[in-house]
Amino acid sequence: MNRSRTRPVVGALCSVGLACLIWEAFARSGLFAPVLAPSVVLIGSALGRMVLSGAMVKHALYTLYRVLFGFILAGAVGVPIGILMGRFRRVERFFLPLVSVLMPIPSLAWVPVFILWFGLGNAATIALVFYAATFPVIYNTWTGVRSVNRLWIRSAEAMGADEKALFRKVILPGSLAFVITGLRQAFARAWIAVVGGEMIAATSWGLGWVIFDSKEFLNTDVMMASLAVIGIIGFAFERLIFYPIEQRTVARWGMVRAVKG
Amino acid sequence: MRRALTSFAEAALPFIVVGILWQAFSLFGPFPQKLFPHVETIVATFIRLVGNGILLIHASSTLLRLILAFFLAALIGVGLGIIIGRYQWAEDFLLPLVSIGNPIPGLAYAPLFVLWFGLGNLPAVLLVAFAAAFPIVLNTWTGVKAVKEIWIRAAQAMGAQDRQLFWKVVLPGALPHILTGLRLGLARAWRVLVAVEMLTSVRLGLGWLIFGAREFLNTDVMLAGIAVIGLVGFLLEKLAFQKLEELTLVRWGMMEA
Repeated sequence: MNRSRTRPVVGALCSVGLACLIWEAFARSGLFAPVLAPSVVLIGSALGRMVLSGAMVKHALYTLYRVLFGFILAGAVGVPIGILMGRFRRVERFFLPLVSVLMPIPSLAWVPVFILWFGLGNAATIALVFYAATFPVIYNTWTGVRSVNRLWIRSAEAMGADEKALFRKVILPGSLAFVITGLRQAFARAWIAVVGGEMIAATSWGLGWVIFDSKEFLNTDVMMASLAVIGIIGFAFERLIFYPIEQRTVARWGMVRAVKG
Repeated sequence: MRRALTSFAEAALPFIVVGILWQAFSLFGPFPQKLFPHVETIVATFIRLVGNGILLIHASSTLLRLILAFFLAALIGVGLGIIIGRYQWAEDFLLPLVSIGNPIPGLAYAPLFVLWFGLGNLPAVLLVAFAAAFPIVLNTWTGVKAVKEIWIRAAQAMGAQDRQLFWKVVLPGALPHILTGLRLGLARAWRVLVAVEMLTSVRLGLGWLIFGAREFLNTDVMLAGIAVIGLVGFLLEKLAFQKLEELTLVRWGMMEA
């Protein structure tokens, strides 16, 4: 760890600490009743209590299971469709209108319908995550395949690459930057969908459910603690999974400038 | 004329195929008709709801909420983004908070906002504005940072004051990113709004329409509502922002049409 790497971390810690102080002052100012705006100490102890009793871990694991299941399904369906759309005009003409009509529909608008179709619980939430995550994957993969430099394809063909080699050595790496962007966007959407889905398609476990459920008992500290966990997990996925993948592949191949920050 | 006709047929083909599949599934699939209505039932319901103005009322009150929330978000987001981009102390303090807050789904705050501001319009608008502000702040910040150093120096060399520098150089230079941010913010606002309407029980609204229809098993009404939601989202994206981009960036030669 050199200094240029530790400095932003220290800065972030300072600003989070300062924000906690402001929140604490606000909570103690009496503008809202203490039940509605719990102090940082209460939130921290609620978080600690729930992590120690294992409840928070179980909630988080349920949510992660749902989001990853739907997300992997979306990747497995979306990437091939996007590649086929980018490679073949016919496929593109068929799928593109459907994608551009279905993409702007917020996934959560489907919740009531999915509840009727799949019942409450895991299936409805996973279907919701799948719906939310598929379209960004398809759209970005399609854009990526189309934006592969013509010159690369022609020179590979001139050097006698067959269809399979062309695909694996040129098109797939060439479109990877876009595919990763698509997966990243898809995960952000899936994360929103899973929290919303858990609130409405109520089950008995899950981070979204626990927030919604603690509203009934005015457990604002539990709500804030779960919010913190949701934020940390979302942040961790972005930083610990997508960022390193980008660094190891497209940034290393010099296809995108590594973005710092 | 014939070319227009064939391109129309080509665009319609996927929808016809999906319609036929839907119809077949609803006729022979495992779901009862009440849960998976025929295509003609959905179309008839859609026409009926448009005809007696119900869809219009719901859609316009949702749109009103969206516009209010979006303006609030744009005002706060662009302002904050510019401040973060221009002043180092603001960046040091605010940027970590914004990037931690950004991945938290806006909807997760919904129960909290309900406790703070009650049910109805106020929490819905505030929550949507809150959720939409994040992408606007981040993109405005990127935009201000991405203004070419050489433009700023050239303007300064020609004796521009701080104010002129801001209005004539920084703001137009950052505009492509700001517009991207507004676009992302609007899309996010639209997505959150529909769900928030389900949770804060507003009187009128497309989200509420769908959620309420579930109680009475009116699957056809729900699907008609979803169709309107998709249509509005599509139009917002196509009409509002493409026009705006044509009028500003493309005309100034900062982006290709």
